[in-house]
Amino acid sequence: MQWVNAIVQGILLGGLYALFACGLSLMFGVMRVVNLAHGDFAVLAAYLALAVITGLHVPMLWSALIVAPLFAGLGYVVQRVIIQRSLDVSPVTTLLVTFGLSIVLQNGMLEAFSANSHSLPSGVLAAGSFRLSPQLSVGYLSLIVFAAAVALIAGLQLFLSRAPLGRRIRAAADDPEAAAIVGTDVRHVFGIAAAIAFATVALAGIAFGGYSSFDPAAGPQRLIFAFEAVVIGGIGSLWGTLLGGIILGVAQALGAQVDSGFGVLAGHLVFLAVLALRPSGLFRVRLT
Amino acid sequence: MGAPLLELDRVSKRFGSVVVAESLSLTVRTGDALGIVGPNGAGKSSLFSVISGDLAPNSGEVRFDGRPVNALGAAARCRLGIGRTYQVPRSFEHMTVFENVLVAAGRGGGLAGRPAAELAAAVLEQTGLRVEANRPAARLGLLQRKRLELARAIATRPRLLMLDEVAAGLTDPEVRQLIEVVNGVRREGVAVIWVEHVVRALVGVVDRLICLAGGRFIGDGSPAEVLASPEVKEVFLGTGYGVGDTPGGGAGR
Repeated sequence: MQWVNAIVQGILLGGLYALFACGLSLMFGVMRVVNLAHGDFAVLAAYLALAVITGLHVPMLWSALIVAPLFAGLGYVVQRVIIQRSLDVSPVTTLLVTFGLSIVLQNGMLEAFSANSHSLPSGVLAAGSFRLSPQLSVGYLSLIVFAAAVALIAGLQLFLSRAPLGRRIRAAADDPEAAAIVGTDVRHVFGIAAAIAFATVALAGIAFGGYSSFDPAAGPQRLIFAFEAVVIGGIGSLWGTLLGGIILGVAQALGAQVDSGFGVLAGHLVFLAVLALRPSGLFRVRLT
Repeated sequence: MGAPLLELDRVSKRFGSVVVAESLSLTVRTGDALGIVGPNGAGKSSLFSVISGDLAPNSGEVRFDGRPVNALGAAARCRLGIGRTYQVPRSFEHMTVFENVLVAAGRGGGLAGRPAAELAAAVLEQTGLRVEANRPAARLGLLQRKRLELARAIATRPRLLMLDEVAAGLTDPEVRQLIEVVNGVRREGVAVIWVEHVVRALVGVVDRLICLAGGRFIGDGSPAEVLASPEVKEVFLGTGYGVGDTPGGGAGR
C-alpha cells in the first residue's frame, strides 16, 4: 500500500512538474528558445503572488487571477524586447541572454526580498485531503494542481490545433519566413506564445510556492525538473511534457520510498536513462 | 494599360562582392503578366525576395500601389497584396495541406472563420490538391509541395503574384494544368511575375519577358522578341554571362 501511495503522490507531483515545464516546452517548440530564466520567473511569480495575497488579503489561488495576466504581459514584452533581439542574432545568443536574465532576476529578487525564504499561505488547501483508504490520501492542493496541469495542456493543445492564432503560432514555429510571406506577423505571434508560456510559469510558481518554501536562488534547482520533464517527454510535445512530468514525479516518489535521500536522484537517473536510450524523448510526434 | 502596381526604382542588392541586382528599375501594372528568365545565379530569386520583403535592398526604392514599402516587413507586404512562392518549397511541415492554405487565407487573405475555410477549399480545388487536403505536408512529394506553394500564395489573395520556378520538373500535361491555374488567377485581375526556366510554360501565360543576367536586365519585350535577341541567346549559351559589360544592357526601363 505504501508503494501505491508513492505512485499516486508521484503522479500528482508530476502534474506540478508538467505545469512548470509546459512553458519551457512551448517556448522551445515555437521559438527554439531555451529559457534558462524559466525557474527564476517562477520564483518571481511566487513573490508577486505573496505580495498580492498579503496586500489584498485574497486566498492563494485567487492571486493567480492577478499574477498570471501580469506575467502574460511581461512575457510578451520580454519576448519582443529582449529575446527576439537575441534570436535575430543567433540561437546561441538566446542562451546567453536568458542566462543573463536569470542572474539579473536572482540578484534583483535578493535585493528586493532578501535571502530569507518564504512560502505562500495555502491554508486549508495544503493541509486538507481526501482519504481514499486508511493508508491513501490525496491532498487538495496537489489534486488541484494536477487537474490544472491536465486542463491547461489539453486547452493549449486545442488552441494550437484549432484556433486561427494557434495555427499561426504553429506555422511560425515551422518556418518563420514562410509564415511571414503568407501574412503572419511572426514577432507578434512569438510574443503571444511567450505570453502564454509566462502565464503558465506564473501558475507553476504559485503552485510551487504553495507546496514548499522559496527564496531568490530557488529558480535554477527547479529549472532542472522542468528540463527533465521536457526531455523525458520529447522536446516540443505538450502531451509528452505531461507524461515526462508524471514519469519524473513517480520516479522521485518511488525513489523516496526506497530511501528518503534517494528521491531526487532516482528522477535524475530516469532522465539519464531516457537521454541515453531515447534521446528524442518518449513522445516522437511533435505537436507544436 | 493598368495603373502602376509594382515599381522598382534603381534597386541594388549585393552579397559581399556578388551583385544580384544592379540599379534595376521596373514597372509592373495591374493585369500585367511578366516573365523573367536568366541563368542560374542571375539574381532572380533575390529580386523576388527584395520585392516580398525577405531581403532589404542596399539601395533603391520598392513601391507598391504607389507607396514605398521598403520599411515594411514581409507580413505587411503580403497583406498589401504581394504574394510569392519559394523556388524550394517551404511548406509548414507539421501541418496538413489544408491548414497550410488556411493560414495563408487567414492573415494574408484577410479572412476569418468560414470564409477563410471556403477560400482555402476553393484554392485546393483550383490547384488540384483537394484529395491531399488532410495529409501532413511533410508527407508530400516534391511536385505536390510545389502545388502547395502555389496554393498558399494564391490563398493570400494577392494583387501581385510572384512565381519562382513552379514549373520545374513538371510533365507536359502538368505544365498545361499549371498554365490553366495561373491564367485563372490572371483573369481575376492579378498581376503575375513568373521566374522560370521552362520557357514553354512561360509563353503560355506572359505577354512580356525580361532576361536578368549578372544583376542587370538585358532584353525586355514580347517573349518572341526577347528570346530571339542575340544578347539573350548569348547569355543562355553561357558565353556572355557574368562579364557585366554586356553591350546595351543596363537599367531596363
